Amino acid sequence: MELVRNWFSKFSLDRIQLELMNTAYGSGHASLSRLDPRGLLIWYLFFAIVPWFVNSLTVLAGMCLFMIVTTILSRVTPFIILVLCLGLIGQVGWLFIISLFFGGDISSALPLLKLTLKLSVVSLASITVFSGLDPEKISDGLLALGIPAAFSFSLSYGYRILPVLFEEFRNVLLSYRLRGKAPSRPGLLHWRIGVYYLKLLVYAFFPLMLATAKRSRTTVEALETRGFSYGLNHPDAKKLKLSHLRFQMRDVLFLTGSAAYLALLFWIG
Amino acid sequence: MPNMPAPLPQEPDNQDQLLIQISDVFFTYPGSEHPVLNGASLALEPGSFTAIIGGNGSGKSTLCKLFNGLIPHYYSGDFEGEVRIAGLSAQDSTVAELSRKVGYVYQDFENQLVRPTVLDEACFAPLNYGLPDYRARATRALELCGLTPLATRFIWELSGGQKHLLALAGALSLEPDILIVDEPVSQLDPQHARQVYEVLRRLHRIYGKTIIVIEHHAEFIADYCHDVCLIEQGRVVWQLPVHEALNRLEDLHRLGIQPPEVTQTAAALAVLQHAALHGGEQNQQDTVDSLQGGQLNQQDATTYPITTEEAQLYFEHMLSAPIELFGQHKQPEPPPQAALPAAESRTVISLKQAALTYRTIHKTDHPVLRGVSLDIAEGERIALVGNNGAGKSSLLRLIAGIAKPTTGTVSILGQDTRSVSLEQLSRDVAFVFQNPEDMFIEDSVYKEIAHCLNKRGYQGAESTIERMLRAFRLDELRERDARLLSGGQQRRVSLAIGAATTPAVMLLDEPTANLDLATREELISTLQELEQHVRTVLIATHDMQLVSRWATRVIVLHEGCVAADGTASEVFADTALIQRAGLALTQTMELSASLNLWPHCSDPAELAARIHRILLAKESLPHGARPQLV
Amino acid sequence: MNSVMNRKSVYTLTSSQKMMIFVLSMSLYGLSNMFTELIPSLQLGPIELSVEYFAFIPLTLCMLFHPFYAAIGAALGEVIFGELMLGQFGGLGEVEKFLTFSFAMYVAGRLVRNPQNRAQVGIAAITGVIIHQLCSTLVDIGKVWIGVEEFEAVPGLAESVVIVEGVSFLNDVLFSGILFALLPTLYLVPRLYGKIEPLLGIKPRKKDTQYEAAGIISPKLVLTGILLALLAFGAESLSETDWNIAEWDSGWADQAGNTAIWLSLGIAAVIAVIVLLLMRSRKTRQGNTDTGAGGGVPHA
Repeated sequence: MELVRNWFSKFSLDRIQLELMNTAYGSGHASLSRLDPRGLLIWYLFFAIVPWFVNSLTVLAGMCLFMIVTTILSRVTPFIILVLCLGLIGQVGWLFIISLFFGGDISSALPLLKLTLKLSVVSLASITVFSGLDPEKISDGLLALGIPAAFSFSLSYGYRILPVLFEEFRNVLLSYRLRGKAPSRPGLLHWRIGVYYLKLLVYAFFPLMLATAKRSRTTVEALETRGFSYGLNHPDAKKLKLSHLRFQMRDVLFLTGSAAYLALLFWIG
Repeated sequence: MPNMPAPLPQEPDNQDQLLIQISDVFFTYPGSEHPVLNGASLALEPGSFTAIIGGNGSGKSTLCKLFNGLIPHYYSGDFEGEVRIAGLSAQDSTVAELSRKVGYVYQDFENQLVRPTVLDEACFAPLNYGLPDYRARATRALELCGLTPLATRFIWELSGGQKHLLALAGALSLEPDILIVDEPVSQLDPQHARQVYEVLRRLHRIYGKTIIVIEHHAEFIADYCHDVCLIEQGRVVWQLPVHEALNRLEDLHRLGIQPPEVTQTAAALAVLQHAALHGGEQNQQDTVDSLQGGQLNQQDATTYPITTEEAQLYFEHMLSAPIELFGQHKQPEPPPQAALPAAESRTVISLKQAALTYRTIHKTDHPVLRGVSLDIAEGERIALVGNNGAGKSSLLRLIAGIAKPTTGTVSILGQDTRSVSLEQLSRDVAFVFQNPEDMFIEDSVYKEIAHCLNKRGYQGAESTIERMLRAFRLDELRERDARLLSGGQQRRVSLAIGAATTPAVMLLDEPTANLDLATREELISTLQELEQHVRTVLIATHDMQLVSRWATRVIVLHEGCVAADGTASEVFADTALIQRAGLALTQTMELSASLNLWPHCSDPAELAARIHRILLAKESLPHGARPQLV
Repeated sequence: MNSVMNRKSVYTLTSSQKMMIFVLSMSLYGLSNMFTELIPSLQLGPIELSVEYFAFIPLTLCMLFHPFYAAIGAALGEVIFGELMLGQFGGLGEVEKFLTFSFAMYVAGRLVRNPQNRAQVGIAAITGVIIHQLCSTLVDIGKVWIGVEEFEAVPGLAESVVIVEGVSFLNDVLFSGILFALLPTLYLVPRLYGKIEPLLGIKPRKKDTQYEAAGIISPKLVLTGILLALLAFGAESLSETDWNIAEWDSGWADQAGNTAIWLSLGIAAVIAVIVLLLMRSRKTRQGNTDTGAGGGVPHA
């Protein structure tokens, strides 16, 4: 069991920030990221929906294998895969164990294994697409598929503002620590320390809310001077923004390759 | 004192050539009683480079928001008057239309950047307008700002100066005729500020852009601007060529704007000479008083120099002799501060081969400090100088225990920072952030100061708080939200927070950054106040005037190593070191260096007095009797 | 609720003020989401003591500002920071999360009429959490129901799903709900009231403040919600029949299995098309009316 204290001492805020930044910005060089985002999104849509309706173990396993390959191709940091694995095992593992108490037996494992596979395929597909692609491409793709322009703006704004927010948050947290008092005794399982940090985490949002409010005002005003609302109301801007998207040979290859593989799976299955 | 009649260029015949024309504008923000603009009129010709100056709340920024239509379209308030920008009537055009002609760079430019990468940011505006050549425009704008090599970088990888240039590039990508830059110097260190101004100068000279800056650093105005426009109480008081404008010492003084240091020196000297001529003996303090009292009228029609180059000529002409012959040893200046602490006094901070390495996002290690060994004794006033990235802030963070040394040790009063918690260590070391707002965690000044005292259960907290409020002149502001105070007030709050627990050591990161000059003066006197509460103070700063006026010991950092460690005069005497470490000297220091006066003076009044003495000495000497030959 | 009370103070926000609220809510809740994603959970058997979310952020903002923009902003912040940027974007699953969360927060914001009344704030905060948790529990149960073939046939599964989901519901409401929604909201709302609004250039809301467009937005939101719920339900029941058709003793090595797959593929395609159409139509409507719904941003 990972203790709260361990977590805080091993993963300093610096490390978390680094890891997060790596996750958020470290992509863009993966081989999949050269593909057309529209194609990839459609590809994703398929793998996000279809597995729910498939019950063949072979097909699911094949899909899962395929997803593992594409995930590796998109060079996802191990951190993400770890988070995913823990989540899945926790979710499904407990279902299985509890079902044993209600008269279940080892036979319930198979349907649950399939459920795990489905969940894995869906999650890995989203990891492949959304963490392997650079944010601008995702938002271009979504824009092309008809999601409102404000969404794609917010996405890239998120990428811009995250480091700023993080820095500010760290400073505020630091201020609390530099002027606060840590519990003198750690308590059983260091619960006091854990509670102390959790409280700080919540308190930190009070100054952060005020500071962010101040910032939002300038940002929105500056957006106005840079034609943001003009762009929202004029479709030319969107067309221009998407004009660089092109379906190329590799997109066709990727999609037909995937389709062929699936066809094969279904045929075997 | 009565204002000078405003010489506004408003001849009706050249109206067509005017780029910006504002006539009789009144504006009141919604919910406010008082008009911010109160009959403001202004006319600017194309291709001008104008500084807009004025005190806090004079309406400078509001005036500039007229140019791109933010007023009256974005801010709905009571608006009256007429604004014409590049032939368009601002009232009948939208912000979007006007913004294509007018680029705006905000004072807090960081919040203006909304895209993840540099090139994207530059493309943003032209893309919004659906301009097919957006990429070419962005590339051009980046080129103009010297950011081409950084085009693929993420914005968070940039330095403050580069971010400012990017905000500029973002505005330039629409190829506006007019560019407005709100206080570029205030958020940047001197080196970067100069870099920004160099770009503005190029835009103005080569590309014929009309540039308007809101600025109160007279030295930058003198070096770069052509015209100056003074705003007071929502009106344009005058609009003059820069030379004349910066010689309006009375007006500047009234609004709390300091003239360039060389101008102050020349004016102070004139006062001294005037007094000497009339037989009165005036000491230095009187000079300062009369200078600040605005007693200086331009009795003689001559104008004082405003740039270092001019001043050099001006004074050399005045001295009209090879100066190294005079005064060099005549007025040995005492070291600016009290004697160095005795060797046996207690060591408070001790660093042994402390190194600090950061992990970068590319998973490589980036060393910021490479084995620093220092001993700092009680009672020292230490200035930490060096250019950006030299490791100043990192060193402060090591001492505060915020960062732990990668190798080596840091100990504070005998406690190894690695073995003590931050909460424990901060009882002995107070850290004051560069940005005071990062320290504000409560909603009133009183609570900010009380927070730590109450949390840690200090004895007599109540009386300490009251003492701090008085000492830092915050009594009036005790119930206010610190975030809504002015820069100088915020700084005082942050110092009071740090001093309240009477720590053994206080660390200040860039305490004079983004302060206007009047507030900066105030800060220096606040630092004296700090002495009453804290024995050992370390300041990381770019501000060489602060260094020479305050520090007993100067530590120069360069590329993570200690490049020099000594008194201010020792450090400033080493020209090679100054070059290497990228230190920016003040005008007074540069002037005294170019006049060959050693050690350098740091204060304009002091320099004036010294030149005055040299002149007196020169007069009293028989012709040809050179002091060193006698 | 208070529609008849005072018609005079209908509060009209400018589109940029709406945008500010949206940006504020998005960045703050987004940031907090990154933390909650990273805070380890204390797993005591099946009971997971985890910090589900910092619901107090959107709750506080919804109570202080126009609840619609704060709610949408927060929901989008979660999708962007907590999911997309961490590479955990669940794709379509996020649509459901987005809707339930923003709906719950919006309702909580609407429940409060006087931000200085602690009782009101407290009740609204906990109600918001309960609405949201109830919706997501139902959806989670639904997921297992769809995901596992012969759901009823697996012994003990139904019970265990209900237990696991029920426990997590209770945990989220009692643990996250009280510690990270109720208490911080009670602490923050009165403290921020009157302080944060001027920073955005907005007048603090008063007892009788009525937000404009409140009457237009909620039916739209509800309608979208119902539509999507119907879609999801339709998909579920269709797939259910699928299984019944495709049920084969010997497993899946038969042609019928393939039929089922192609059928479900077809259904998936239909759903995808409908979702896309829905998004498009919403977008054009937004362009016309300025009020915006769904993922729209208040900027017109």
